[in-house]
Amino acid sequence: MATMTDTDTSQGRQTEPALREANRVVTQVIENVEEVIVGHHAEIEHVLTAMLGRGHVLLEDVPGVGKTMLARAIAASFEGTFKRVQFTPDLLPTDVTGVNVYNQQSETFEFQPGPIFGNVVLGDEINRAPPKTQSALLEAMEEGQVTVDGTTRTVPKPFTVIATQNTVEQNRTYDLPMAELDRFTKKIHLGYPDQVEEAEMLGRVVGRHPIEDLTSVTTLEEFQRARDTVADFDVEQPLRDYATRLARYTREHAQLGVSPRGSLALLRASQGRALLDGRDYVVPDDLRTEAASVLAHRVRPDSAEQTGRDVVRAALDSVPVE
Amino acid sequence: MTLVERVRENRAVAAVDWPRATALFAVLVTLGAALQVMYHFIDVVGLPLAFLAIVAVSLVAATALARVLPAWTAVVVAVVLLALGLGWYLTQITGNPPWIALVADALSLLGGRSLLRISNVRAWVLGVTPGPVFLTWYFALRRWYTPAVAVAGGTLTFFVLTGDADVVTTLTGVVAGAAALGLGDFERRDEPIARAETVLVVAAVMIVVPSAISVVPATAGAAGPLAPGLDRAATVEANLMDAEEDLAVQGAISLSPQVRFTVSSDEGDYWRVGSYDRYTGDGWVRTGGTSEYRHGRLDSPPGPSRTVDQTFRVETRSNVAPAAWKPVRVAGLPGASVRNDGSVVPGETLEEGDSYRVRSEVSDASPRQLDQAGTNYPGAIQSRYTQLPDSTPERVGDRAARLTADAETPYQRARVVEQWLQNNRNYSLNVDRPRGDVADAFLFEMDAGYCTYYATTMVTMLRSQDVPARFVTGYTAGERVDEDRRVVRGLNAHAWVEVYFPRYGWVTFDPTPGGPREAVRERTVQQARENEVTAVDTTDTGGTEEWTPTDTQTPEPLTTAAEGSSNVSADADSDTIESPTLPAGIITQDLDGVNATGVNATGTGAGTGDDGPLPRMPTRQQFALVLVAALGAAVGVRRSGVPERAYRALWLRYQPRSDPATDVERAFQRLQYYLGEHHYRPRWDDETVREYVDAIDADPRARRVAAIRERARYRGDVSEADADEAVRLVNELVR
Repeated sequence: MATMTDTDTSQGRQTEPALREANRVVTQVIENVEEVIVGHHAEIEHVLTAMLGRGHVLLEDVPGVGKTMLARAIAASFEGTFKRVQFTPDLLPTDVTGVNVYNQQSETFEFQPGPIFGNVVLGDEINRAPPKTQSALLEAMEEGQVTVDGTTRTVPKPFTVIATQNTVEQNRTYDLPMAELDRFTKKIHLGYPDQVEEAEMLGRVVGRHPIEDLTSVTTLEEFQRARDTVADFDVEQPLRDYATRLARYTREHAQLGVSPRGSLALLRASQGRALLDGRDYVVPDDLRTEAASVLAHRVRPDSAEQTGRDVVRAALDSVPVE
Repeated sequence: MTLVERVRENRAVAAVDWPRATALFAVLVTLGAALQVMYHFIDVVGLPLAFLAIVAVSLVAATALARVLPAWTAVVVAVVLLALGLGWYLTQITGNPPWIALVADALSLLGGRSLLRISNVRAWVLGVTPGPVFLTWYFALRRWYTPAVAVAGGTLTFFVLTGDADVVTTLTGVVAGAAALGLGDFERRDEPIARAETVLVVAAVMIVVPSAISVVPATAGAAGPLAPGLDRAATVEANLMDAEEDLAVQGAISLSPQVRFTVSSDEGDYWRVGSYDRYTGDGWVRTGGTSEYRHGRLDSPPGPSRTVDQTFRVETRSNVAPAAWKPVRVAGLPGASVRNDGSVVPGETLEEGDSYRVRSEVSDASPRQLDQAGTNYPGAIQSRYTQLPDSTPERVGDRAARLTADAETPYQRARVVEQWLQNNRNYSLNVDRPRGDVADAFLFEMDAGYCTYYATTMVTMLRSQDVPARFVTGYTAGERVDEDRRVVRGLNAHAWVEVYFPRYGWVTFDPTPGGPREAVRERTVQQARENEVTAVDTTDTGGTEEWTPTDTQTPEPLTTAAEGSSNVSADADSDTIESPTLPAGIITQDLDGVNATGVNATGTGAGTGDDGPLPRMPTRQQFALVLVAALGAAVGVRRSGVPERAYRALWLRYQPRSDPATDVERAFQRLQYYLGEHHYRPRWDDETVREYVDAIDADPRARRVAAIRERARYRGDVSEADADEAVRLVNELVR
């Protein structure tokens, strides 16, 4: 894979400036985030491909593996507004969206924007809030807008939600229904760092935490341009067919399979993946790299022993590439 | 209900049980090969309908009893049927005690004598048929294919031993038998018919290998079953004289210029060797045996006759003792015997220098007498000498009836037919052996032939008009070298016709035109002399001191004999009886007919021209065998995978160019095939090209091609240069 890429870029005949620029932006963000986050290179890339594909990310794992830190580091790398919502059982929808407050001086109601109005919104422990509050966030994610007291307001662009949820203490949580999970482009498991990485991480953060010193490396405009560039990447017929075949496989081999929205998300994330690889066209390998994180959480397997990830892996193993 | 039973039942409901159907069919073909031979017998001697009825009844009985009769009982039934049949046959035999006849028959038959030599072959066939047919079909229906094939094959083997089954029939039977065994096996194992294609391959091998081997010079003597027209070039003499009891009509034939006999006799006559009574459609068979010659006087012919004494000096080893018809006394032939037609057979081979004397009584009946002989034929003569195969085409009889419409007596009929043949067919030794009935072919398809054809046709035509006639072989008078001496060469070998007249016996007719025949003979002798072939001349011939006066090739008495019956012109009454002239209209008509069919004649390969006969059409049987062979070969070739591999090899190495996108894709497919087949492993289905080239650690050129193809396929971006590069790289790799 590496060799082929080298060959490609060395020839460089089709590499347009926009592609190079977008690639530079993303590479810089990744490098920046890696100042803070040790290991998890793949997960960082996954978050970025989701963001490039105009999607949102759900980070799920046990507490203390750096979910919030990853989200903050990414947010901090952009020169945009970063908002954070800590979801709790008593959090109200208006705590997320904002509320109309009566201004006694002007004798009018004024809209007090909630934390949803940011370019990168970190929703911590989203599964601890009741469904009503969750749905306020989800509406914004899907529609790019929120409705408060009948008035619809658009959230800024670019807009990315990075939510986290814990997999412990399941008894006091409100699990996201499948319909809402579907709205996250990806669900990413961070996992524990290996021994070397953990030691390295401890060394870095034992004193002053480097996140405090993290500065943005790209402007919102640059990132928005990168998104637009990626959106134009070629996704040829064979790939659309491949994505469809994968989705169909999960539908045939699970209780609930991947929706068309899921297939679309897969193609979009694959476009981001192509950019990371310096290409302006998608290849089957991009789909295969993205499939697990994009599709697994949309699948409800037939049996309890299976996970969505198993079904997706089976799909990748059984569906002919071309 | 077991699974197998259920499957069986479903299949029975759903569709034909193909393995069973084909296996049964193959058994029927094997049986048919044997029955075909029997049918030929019964066709020659008549009553084919009775034979077919017996076959049908046997088949129906076997079908009905297959489910109820235990196997051993069935075998017993078949044996009893066979015993009853043979017993009935024995009751039909006259003469020898039955059991001697049976043993003698069996021995001589297994020694390669045609079954047609049995006088009552009809009774034999009708008696023998039911047993094997019943048993074969019984076993086949009970799915016991091995015994079924054994019974049918055994019957066929018997006819192979008697020499009655020709190569094609034998091969058909053997191939079908093998196929029946193979298919039966598939049927028993309940396997789909599609898997039985191996049986086809085996059948093809069985057909092709013997055919191929017979092309090898060493074994070319026996022509392969699928190589028609490879008949050995033979001489007329060999054909006529070496044939002991069976005479097969041959195709192109030559003449031997060697001297055989020197005859001292007052008269030149036809030197007769033997006659044949049973016509098979493609040849002649002599039935009946011989009896010892007891140095007494043999019967003279009835009616007026004159005595002719002859002394034959043998110049070349010989198995025959020619004599003028009809010999009544013989000397110098130790152990001689007499055939039941009256001809004399030497007891041992005659060596060069031997000589023997014969006294013959030559019929002196005048044409008038013969014309008035009437039709009061003895029953034995009539039944034996008016036999024709049942399959003789009707048009032969029609043509004969039309030609002889104005002829009122058998004698006139004989003369009309004789003259018509002399006038309307050309003499040629270079003919293709026609397929089917010889007489029919000579009448309707050929316009030339030699004596065998003329004589065969004349006998057939006369028999169709119920005139007893027989086919006779022997030598013509020979070259007259002295007042009373003649030299008889191999090329004098001849075939002619004898017609029976009540009160006068057998009278010679010769439908072969004399002039052309003599011309051919003379040419042959001249050529042989020029080529200095040995034994062409005796001291008396070919030299300067030739006997001058009347040196015609056919001596005087025979010139007339060749025109008519042997002794007619010598008779004083000859002028008073006009030979019935042929109605002109009929001749024209027939000539037209000949011309019209002459076109067909070349088409069917019966032409005589030197411009090379067209290859003859194969018979249906040969065609079926070729078809099986071709199908089998095709299946075999396909299973061997050779064409696929050849195509792949070519496809891999040579790439025609079209548009860049296609070129790149094809170059990539070649690369992928090359990598998969020749070097590493094929790409797995769930593997991307990138994963694949990494996994097999492919050559940089391969990676480059993969990259070009990736851009072409997933970016829709490909240039002429890309295509050139990809094709070039792949060419480098694969060549």
